Amino acid sequence: MTSYVGHNGKTIVDRVEADGREGRLGGMLTIPVRREIAHEIISLSYGFFTPLEGFMNREQVESTLNEMELPDGTLWSIPIVFDLAPEKISEYGLRSGDEVLLEYDGSPIARFSMDDIFDYNTDEMSEKTYGTKDLKHPGVKRTHSYQGKFIGGKVTLVNEPKFNPPYDRFWMTPKQHIDAFRKKKWKHIVAHQTRNVPHTGHEALMKQAWFAANEDMPVDQIRTGILVNAIIGEKRVGDYIDESILLTQDALRQYGYFREDVHMVTFTLWDMRYAGPREAIFHAILRTNLGCTHHMFGRDHAGVGNFYRPYDAQDLLKQYREKLSIKPVFLMENWYCPECAEVTNASVCGHEKKAQNFSGTLLRSILTDGVKPTKKVMRPEVFDVVMKSASDYGVGSPFVTEKYLASRRPIFNLRKMEVQKA
Amino acid sequence: MTGKGNVKINVWINEERLDALRKAGLDRLAKEEFAGMMLLEVTCTEEQKDKLLEQYPTAKYDSSTTHSIELLPREVKDKIFETSLQLRSTGPEVIENMLSRGGGK
Ligand SMILES: [Zn+2]
Repeated sequence: MTSYVGHNGKTIVDRVEADGREGRLGGMLTIPVRREIAHEIISLSYGFFTPLEGFMNREQVESTLNEMELPDGTLWSIPIVFDLAPEKISEYGLRSGDEVLLEYDGSPIARFSMDDIFDYNTDEMSEKTYGTKDLKHPGVKRTHSYQGKFIGGKVTLVNEPKFNPPYDRFWMTPKQHIDAFRKKKWKHIVAHQTRNVPHTGHEALMKQAWFAANEDMPVDQIRTGILVNAIIGEKRVGDYIDESILLTQDALRQYGYFREDVHMVTFTLWDMRYAGPREAIFHAILRTNLGCTHHMFGRDHAGVGNFYRPYDAQDLLKQYREKLSIKPVFLMENWYCPECAEVTNASVCGHEKKAQNFSGTLLRSILTDGVKPTKKVMRPEVFDVVMKSASDYGVGSPFVTEKYLASRRPIFNLRKMEVQKA
Repeated sequence: MTGKGNVKINVWINEERLDALRKAGLDRLAKEEFAGMMLLEVTCTEEQKDKLLEQYPTAKYDSSTTHSIELLPREVKDKIFETSLQLRSTGPEVIENMLSRGGGK
């Protein structure tokens, strides 16, 4: 039998019930959930968050925040919680030990076996996760919007999401990732975390990471691959639209900037918490569960504003190095150097004073004007794809607008099911 | 009306646009910004700025640091570039001419 091993040597969690068993769901109490929770149900059930099998109970939250580990000692950094208003809990009459049916978008999504209903101080949760209580931090804001009570317990997916184009081409479960790597005969796989349309600086980072990850393996037969794993989830106005991210990253391989046999693009449903160092640990765990052996971490990984220093994330990863089941590849930022006449890395180029830094603002301004950048800034095919995806999916803009948020096509649909209500 | 206004509008210049500027003898006005991407600074008056902001509500004026109008629609920026080429100028007459022809619409 094929084995699927994830974070800390644990078997990849698989809590997905086969189709055609909806008869068993009849008569269960049904509770609707919002998008955030639905996405985490999907990720939990397919094992993206292995060894978690469901939403955390109080003990798990406590040890995550205080010890940076689950109660059994497995490294863990971010609380994964199910929140509900106290009034709802009394209205539904929920008790520990109950099993309910969770519903999203009008369809059943998962069974939820509740084993702990608890309170938690959200100030403490914020401060320990994000290192701040400042509501300007989007993660803190999210934590403070939790509805008062938390419920821990295992989830079982009863309705598999059907992803809509273009997402369907990029969706893989953890086990499917591992299968795909085996088929490609990749021995080393380096993960590249992204929420960006790639400029040449990103492309160079991925290439540098490939060399680091290939280590001492021979190069006459390629056995190292790059997994570009985009984070798809909550969007903020001004972010790149999800469709542009996936299609442009894929274009880099389609147009030969990466060989067919060294590059692959997929995504994970996850709402960025912008937790900087703790999120870096989480990303390492997540990509271990996808079968990656290496993970690239650049400057200011998963940070926001000025809440973290540029290399805080790398420092925390170093501190927990022994407990990671994946090798971090640490990189400094790339810049364009007019003296070297190339995109190069701050670790090696000696012309710091002349270096021209890539900046999000600069790229945004170029793309907003729709002026095709020079090849040194962005590959022409990437630009064409970003403009096309802007018109196909982004109401004309590759950046998230209020209009996009209101009118975007759903990422996935759930099958309608006839289930007899309680 | 010639000379310089107080308000800036930055137009991105790639290789293609630089060629066009060269033909109009304006290429020396474009300044290298990043990895071969250049900026052409077109200026306008306070009065023209107010008219532009009124016509294009998505646009913003950065009064504190850059003194430039940002987030003008792409079509308007294209029109500004074309008009600048036609008039061989980067002064307020560019916006004057554009507004008199009904803006970027
Ligand atoms: Zn250099």
